[in-house]
Amino acid sequence: MRTRLQVPLPSRAPRGFSVVGLLVFVAVVAALAIFPQFVKKPYVLHMGVLLFLAVIQGQAWNVVGGYAGQYSVGHAAYFGVGAYVTMMLLEVNKIAPWWGVWAAMAAAVLLSLVIGSITFRLRGPYFVLASISVAEIIRLATLYFKDFTRGAEGFLLGEIPTMNLFGEEILFIGKRPFYFVGLGLAVVAVAVNWVVQHSKLGYYFQAIREDQDAAHSLGINLSFYKNVALSISAAFTALAGGFYAMFVKFIDPNTVFGLDVSVQIVLLCIIGGIGTIVGPVIGAVVLVPLSEILRNPKGLVQVGVLSADSGFVTFVERYLSNAHLLVYGILVVLVILFAPEGVLGVIRRAAARWGRRPQDVPPTAAAKA
Amino acid sequence: MTKKLAMAVAALALALPGTGSAQVKIGFINSITGPEAPIGENLTNGVDMAVEDLKKQGVNVALVKQDDTGKPQVAMSAMEQLATGDEVAAVVGPYTSATANAVAKLAQQYKVPQVVPAAAKEEITKQGYDWVFRLNAPAHQYAQSLIDAALAFGKPKSIAFIYESTDFGASVASAGKDYAQKKGLKMVADEAYQKGAPDYRSTLTKIKAQNPDLVFMVSYVADAILLMRQSREVGLKPQAFLGGGAGFDTAQFEGEKDISNLVYSVTQWTPESSKAATAFADRYKAKYGKKPTYHAACAYAAMMIVGETAAKNGGDRKKIRDALANGSWTGIMGKVDFETYEGFTNQNKLVMPVIQYQGGKSETVYPKEAAQKKAVYPFPGWK
Amino acid sequence: MIVFLQSVLSGLLVGGVYALIGIGLTLIFGVMRVTNFAHGELLMLGMYLAWLAFTGLHLDPFLSIVLVAPAMFLWGAFLQKSFVNRVLGALPQNQILLTIGLGLIMSNTVMLIFTSDYRILTTTYSSSSYKLAGLSISQPLLYAFLITVAITGALYWFLLKTDTGQAIRATAQDRDAAQLMGINVRRMSVLAFGIGSALAGTAGALISPTYYIFPQVGSTFTLKAFVIVVLGGMGSVVGATLGGIIIGVAESLSAVYIASGLKELVTFVLFLALLLFKPAGLLGKTRA
Repeated sequence: MRTRLQVPLPSRAPRGFSVVGLLVFVAVVAALAIFPQFVKKPYVLHMGVLLFLAVIQGQAWNVVGGYAGQYSVGHAAYFGVGAYVTMMLLEVNKIAPWWGVWAAMAAAVLLSLVIGSITFRLRGPYFVLASISVAEIIRLATLYFKDFTRGAEGFLLGEIPTMNLFGEEILFIGKRPFYFVGLGLAVVAVAVNWVVQHSKLGYYFQAIREDQDAAHSLGINLSFYKNVALSISAAFTALAGGFYAMFVKFIDPNTVFGLDVSVQIVLLCIIGGIGTIVGPVIGAVVLVPLSEILRNPKGLVQVGVLSADSGFVTFVERYLSNAHLLVYGILVVLVILFAPEGVLGVIRRAAARWGRRPQDVPPTAAAKA
Repeated sequence: MTKKLAMAVAALALALPGTGSAQVKIGFINSITGPEAPIGENLTNGVDMAVEDLKKQGVNVALVKQDDTGKPQVAMSAMEQLATGDEVAAVVGPYTSATANAVAKLAQQYKVPQVVPAAAKEEITKQGYDWVFRLNAPAHQYAQSLIDAALAFGKPKSIAFIYESTDFGASVASAGKDYAQKKGLKMVADEAYQKGAPDYRSTLTKIKAQNPDLVFMVSYVADAILLMRQSREVGLKPQAFLGGGAGFDTAQFEGEKDISNLVYSVTQWTPESSKAATAFADRYKAKYGKKPTYHAACAYAAMMIVGETAAKNGGDRKKIRDALANGSWTGIMGKVDFETYEGFTNQNKLVMPVIQYQGGKSETVYPKEAAQKKAVYPFPGWK
Repeated sequence: MIVFLQSVLSGLLVGGVYALIGIGLTLIFGVMRVTNFAHGELLMLGMYLAWLAFTGLHLDPFLSIVLVAPAMFLWGAFLQKSFVNRVLGALPQNQILLTIGLGLIMSNTVMLIFTSDYRILTTTYSSSSYKLAGLSISQPLLYAFLITVAITGALYWFLLKTDTGQAIRATAQDRDAAQLMGINVRRMSVLAFGIGSALAGTAGALISPTYYIFPQVGSTFTLKAFVIVVLGGMGSVVGATLGGIIIGVAESLSAVYIASGLKELVTFVLFLALLLFKPAGLLGKTRA
């Protein structure tokens, strides 16, 4: 009934180990790690944190959306749970976020099992709609049961306790500490994605994506593997949520459980290219700065790129301010329309095109294919 | 003529820094766009007028405006930018309870004096923050003034609450519930609604079935109008509709004569409260073509105080804070004095008058000393 | 009892407008098998057009539908021809993402032009109502409902009695077979999207006197429209009519008997339950 993917499986299921890729990856991470030594502008570091956050979200969604092909548009559920559990444990129970976030991830995994058992029975638009509905139910419930969640008032972060890391005291004040934590978490997210992709799990996930029925007839336990993918994805999305709550210092149901959170995560991956490790990273690198500039063009002035009275800032402020999602909209339309084949290949080609650029290749074997 | 003079003075001030008159950089965070923008506009107008008046006094304010779109996280990043990027001497705003409360935390952290002009949430000045000042009266006074007024006019026995579940709505409503209980009113309905889906007909029908003597509503502007429209539709007819400020005290609401008539609202300020207030109202009307709301007056007064204080102290944040804490001012809001009392820190004491819309015009009806017209009580029913 | 009847009545009136939104969506889905996630944004555009007509031309919002509907038809046809048409054979997720993208473009562009302020339309009858045996019937909602009934009736007639209508239904039933029978399937798709868009826009104009208008108002309606359509069975016009009314009444009743803050939650729970136990919907014949 529908044109299925024609690209044979092995070509897109990279195995093995690319030394060059690993070196590039290490170099990029190292460069990012020493970056704050040279650039201290808070706005730049702020952007860096948002970028890492987007990378974590993208990598997390990629596991279930990219590899297993289950287009959840309800990831705000896990993001919000991560944010709320971390925040509430800190604010109510005085549990430091680096412990609280484990509980948050566990909670998200539990939730994902419930959601998975409901939604994975459905396919296509029905699955998408169900995933949205679940996230909306959680958002509305968080708004309503305000004795527990404080409803629309949300949570305002008091203070993050001082972290004691090997005798080193780390104060979470300013952007710097968040920059490093964000970078670390992003590296972990990328690494986990790599491991998933290169393990047996990755094969099963992709088999499910290519053809559920065929995968089933090969003896792959569909619901089990879909749930595994979703659990991994949920855990890391919750991690991103916990990190977000600590960084932004304010959460309420609409900002962490809202539909646009879910949509943003998906579009980030789609625009970057799904099913690869580089894709979500590219998506983040393209989208985060673009939408941030639209949101707050004055930042460019602060960084010294533009002068305060420059026409660009005035133009953006007057005509484009706060429409940062416009970029997502335009790009996703362009990506879906203007690709050679217009079927699932849309995404594949985009990803492959990105993947072929040598400087962007972390350890995937995309180049080999 | 005066304008020319003011400009000359301003030019002089620029040319001779350190001669008493000076340039100060002040941040102003407000809901310029977003759902609260119709009210935010009043604050912007008030602040703009204050900046002009300060100029006439020889204080040149470089105003850095930031839009918080009504969202706390946006307000917080705006505050960070003002505190660290723009290096302002002090901050006026933001408007809503949620945003003002979020910014207060940062004001304390970055040690930037903040004057909250019109946000009601109790906690804002109850957290011991010595960098945060509030000009307007907090939430419990909204509820007390309204309920006291109703009890003075008649003998209501029961009360229903309907409010938006935001910081502002929840604070005023919960203060109202406490006070109603104290006064022996029976609470027959307690309905919080979510913004964004404005069909309150079923909720109002439910309230109508309880037949409450008082209906207490708290909401921002769009919902205030729709709540009253739908109350009229379903024929809700209590002895009095009590509107908790905000959306119920705006020109838009006043202009909706069909539904605003005989509704009570509580306010921070009325143009008739003093000569200075009347003069301000006249100038405002001449400039913007409409009556100032309390938001405009509060914002104006806050900006005047901050501008003067900042100029006197050469933009030094710590000195400004001390001067704010110790000084007192008399202007369109009457006497302003940031005091520490009953758990509040740096809170201005203000008596909130109750107004009633009579034929599309707001009239002060309570307290007795300030009343200009007799209140119409009970509500005679819809036309 | 009066409370019950009143809430059923309010729900019914609102449900009529919901039905209109649902019919538009189901038509688009039926003919093209495209799940249009920009449907709420089309409704939002209709609201803004009505608002513009009201403030600029002093045109009553109910009369403004004579302008809004054709304008939205053309807009929908344009969207179909230039964007949606290109993904007709693609995987459902690509279609969904494309329409999500189009929706974001629409809502953010409107925000750039009109800012994110909430607008309210004030007409002479905005808060008027008819009284009937202790029940109150909101005038603006009643007008909206009656117009909806008229439009739905006309649409049924169009789909059942005219050649074009039958061609649209044939395309919805079996696209390939329709093509073999010499039906211009592409034209039918453009028509269907145009009609769907016009219906959404009209619904927006119809509720504008009792609602508030802001750029992000659409997403609530997109979700609601899907619930309605799936409830009635995707592709079924009768189902969508019924679904709209059921959702309207369900919301109204749960606001009274459960809690105002939970009425939408109840809708989504119903929706999930339905997806699980009767995914084809109440009157569904087609299954994606």
